[in-house]
Amino acid sequence: MKELQDLAHKLLSDGAVTVVMGWEQGPRGVRPAMITTAANSHRLIFDPRCVHNLATYLNPRRSHLKSLGKPAIVVKGCDAKAVAGLIRESQIKREDVVIIGVRCGGVVRKPTQAPELTTDTVSPRCGRCDAREPKLVDHLVGPALPEPPKTCSVDMVARLEQMPVQERWAFWREELSRCIRCHACREICPMCFCSTCVADKSRPQWIETSATPRANLAWQMTRVMHMAGRCVGCGECTRACPAEIPLGLILAHVAQSVEQRFSYRVSDDPTLPAPVGAFKTDDAQEFIL
Amino acid sequence: MNIYQPHLMRIDEVVAETSDTQTFKLSFKDPQVAQQFKFLAGQFGEYSVFGEGECTFCIASSPTREGYIECSFKAAGKVTQSLKRLSVGDTIGFRGPYGNNFPLEQMNGHSVVFVAGGIGLAPVRSVIWNVLDLRDQFKNVTIIYGARSVGDLVYKRELAAWAVRHDVKLWTTVDPGGQTADWKGEVGFVPAIVEKAAPVATDAYAVVCGPPVMIKFTLPVLAKLGFAEERIYTTLENRMKCGLGKCGRCNIGPVYVCKDGPVFSAAQIKALPPEY
Amino acid sequence: MNSKSLSLAELAALVRDLNASGTSVVAPVPTRSLCGADYRPITELNQATLNGALPRRSLKELFLPASEVLLRYRLKKNDVELLPVPTTFTPQVILGARPCDAAGVAVLDRVMGWDYRDELWFGRRAATTIVSLACPGFDGVCFCHAVGLNPDASLGSDVLLVPRGADAYWAMPVTDKGEALLARGTFADLVEPAEVTAFRKAAEEKVAKNLASLPSGFHTFMAQSFDHPEFKAIASRCHGCGACAAVCPTCHCFDIVDEPEGMEGGARRRNWDFCATCKFTVHASGHNPRATQNERFRQRVMHKFSIYPQRFDAVLCTGCGRCVRACPAGMDLPEVLGHLYAAQAAGGVS
Repeated sequence: MKELQDLAHKLLSDGAVTVVMGWEQGPRGVRPAMITTAANSHRLIFDPRCVHNLATYLNPRRSHLKSLGKPAIVVKGCDAKAVAGLIRESQIKREDVVIIGVRCGGVVRKPTQAPELTTDTVSPRCGRCDAREPKLVDHLVGPALPEPPKTCSVDMVARLEQMPVQERWAFWREELSRCIRCHACREICPMCFCSTCVADKSRPQWIETSATPRANLAWQMTRVMHMAGRCVGCGECTRACPAEIPLGLILAHVAQSVEQRFSYRVSDDPTLPAPVGAFKTDDAQEFIL
Repeated sequence: MNIYQPHLMRIDEVVAETSDTQTFKLSFKDPQVAQQFKFLAGQFGEYSVFGEGECTFCIASSPTREGYIECSFKAAGKVTQSLKRLSVGDTIGFRGPYGNNFPLEQMNGHSVVFVAGGIGLAPVRSVIWNVLDLRDQFKNVTIIYGARSVGDLVYKRELAAWAVRHDVKLWTTVDPGGQTADWKGEVGFVPAIVEKAAPVATDAYAVVCGPPVMIKFTLPVLAKLGFAEERIYTTLENRMKCGLGKCGRCNIGPVYVCKDGPVFSAAQIKALPPEY
Repeated sequence: MNSKSLSLAELAALVRDLNASGTSVVAPVPTRSLCGADYRPITELNQATLNGALPRRSLKELFLPASEVLLRYRLKKNDVELLPVPTTFTPQVILGARPCDAAGVAVLDRVMGWDYRDELWFGRRAATTIVSLACPGFDGVCFCHAVGLNPDASLGSDVLLVPRGADAYWAMPVTDKGEALLARGTFADLVEPAEVTAFRKAAEEKVAKNLASLPSGFHTFMAQSFDHPEFKAIASRCHGCGACAAVCPTCHCFDIVDEPEGMEGGARRRNWDFCATCKFTVHASGHNPRATQNERFRQRVMHKFSIYPQRFDAVLCTGCGRCVRACPAGMDLPEVLGHLYAAQAAGGVS
């Protein structure tokens, strides 16, 4: 923690950056913090409650943060994949951000929980983690941490895949029926960077804005398709959803499909071209008539 | 009665004002509604193209002309582009009239200066005809109207009619570069022409509508000419959906444009937070 | 009418009686994950949870659904036929409403009845009897006391229930509608017992600790503080996701859209809309009067604590705390209010 605070202090007092995006203790649990003065560096913390993927704040749609100037950002391994994604897709330039990586031993489900990691409290996504130490960094801080405990939750992705189609359809119909089309999933997503989302376009109206079954399905399926090869699996959409729809399950399934079909796994290497952005003659294309 | 249920109106006439601006003359399909319908200059309505949605603009005709209303719109968004595709005989929806109005009772017996830019002439036109139809109740009438180019001037037939009236002083102008070879009006931005026309402020009211930048630079000119802020009126055009004070979208601080406006004096606007 | 005693068995019988007579009963029903509840129809009392689980979303959607048809239209050659939607509704009883949720509905009556009466809102209001259940204070976020309510507030309720142990309630009729509901059974009269008074007092004390009450003159201070430095960077961590408004019992902003249903017709719908989003106020020209998140968040706070009090003489917030619990970025309304209290105390206007 001290190492992180000292680094932030140095970056801010040297003028290398004008804001450090990290985490702080809020009135209830941990929350994102924009540290703009060296004197406030002591507010930065890192522990298993630092759930938030801060890369979202680098997204060019965050117009109100531009006035804060050049950022440094604190990232876990999973967050670094989102920074890499934004660089890969030309949303930000590598040299425009200072990346402070933290070694991660897993996070809890919600930032308001106690920081202790147990089989109950650990975020299920940490069980699938392949990036506990980010590589896309300018600075790497913190001690190496033990592997997180395995979640006691059932693997819903696997369970859904084994379900008969009718049953799976019933599951999603019920879940998506709660969607109220607030688009919180999109707003918090670090990889939803379109300046005008297809769901906001009205000429033509590709997706209806009402919270009706067909419009909810159209919206969520469209978003999922747009996330193929982009989603970093940070789970922020699931966490933000006020209707508590487990959106991450569909995204995890799509990530598996992308890996199986295109041998591509989202990583924090921004030089690896994403399947949607690269043409390969040996791509599977049997669906093209 | 469901307050969101529009009345049906028939398009009786379509006038292409410019390449992207049109005027519809509309009459209510239900004779009872037609009989009872009353409005005041400055009020607005929610016009709908069924299947596309609703959009908001003022009633551009004068309340002194009964039996129909007119509206003018620029094809800018989803609904206005669909409106543009309609023709005589087609049906649209209308909810209204909503909002407040220009203070014609106060203006009565005084001189009136109208300043408008582009499509901003639409709400002003309602007041102009209201005043001209009661011409003997007002003193001097001055109209200063400008558009980006000659092709962007709206209500050309009426501009011609006002130009030849002896009881109206009309100034028309286009932005520099917007003139044609046979253009006989002024060339220059509206605020400059207001300064040149120098309407007398004594005993006079001003009605100013147009793009925000035009209003911004016209108000100081009118102040210099001696117009009190309380005697300058304009309209605000915040985005709205319901027009009824419910949908929570058009407010500027505590002021709801749909209910407290759209007509505001310059003094009122000065007191508002800058969210318009 | 006197206040009554209701046992759990009597309440269960009332639920069956209402359902049998064609009145639907809505109550907090546990979610599949059992970590919360949703207001949903029940046929038997044992489907509901009255033990304090907080419904994820507020009561408002029973009166202002997330998406609702305003009218249907059929297109004919040159002509349009409008098919109105009914503005009368099946009677329903909401059982076990949170007092903060019931109060939210009453607060919204003011804007929904402002000059133009929203018949869809008031149609549902007329058809609904709200039986709220006094709250023990849910968690450390709750700040109903600060906005002039309490965990046992009866504003918006037709009947207020207060628990007496695990299987009985003290029922206080608040309105004629509430009396009519209680008249459906033969419930014994019961003067407020000491344990009920103690429950109410304990809950109030618990919640009052969470946030001090709005200071007097707060909305006037807010009205004068549009440019207060407190608002300059207030929303730097806000994503503009709108989750706060979605779960709020008093956020009522909406959009109106037309959506085709087949080639010949369709529906005009009203959908919840969210002032936190960029799209909310943007003009067709691209100009946006509230250009960034700071202005949008200020609007939300101003609407609740300045604009609504000025226009409708009520705070547009019932202190339920859902916005705080739902915010993925840790935006904290009680914290913001605390800062604004301090600013007011410090002499206010910058």
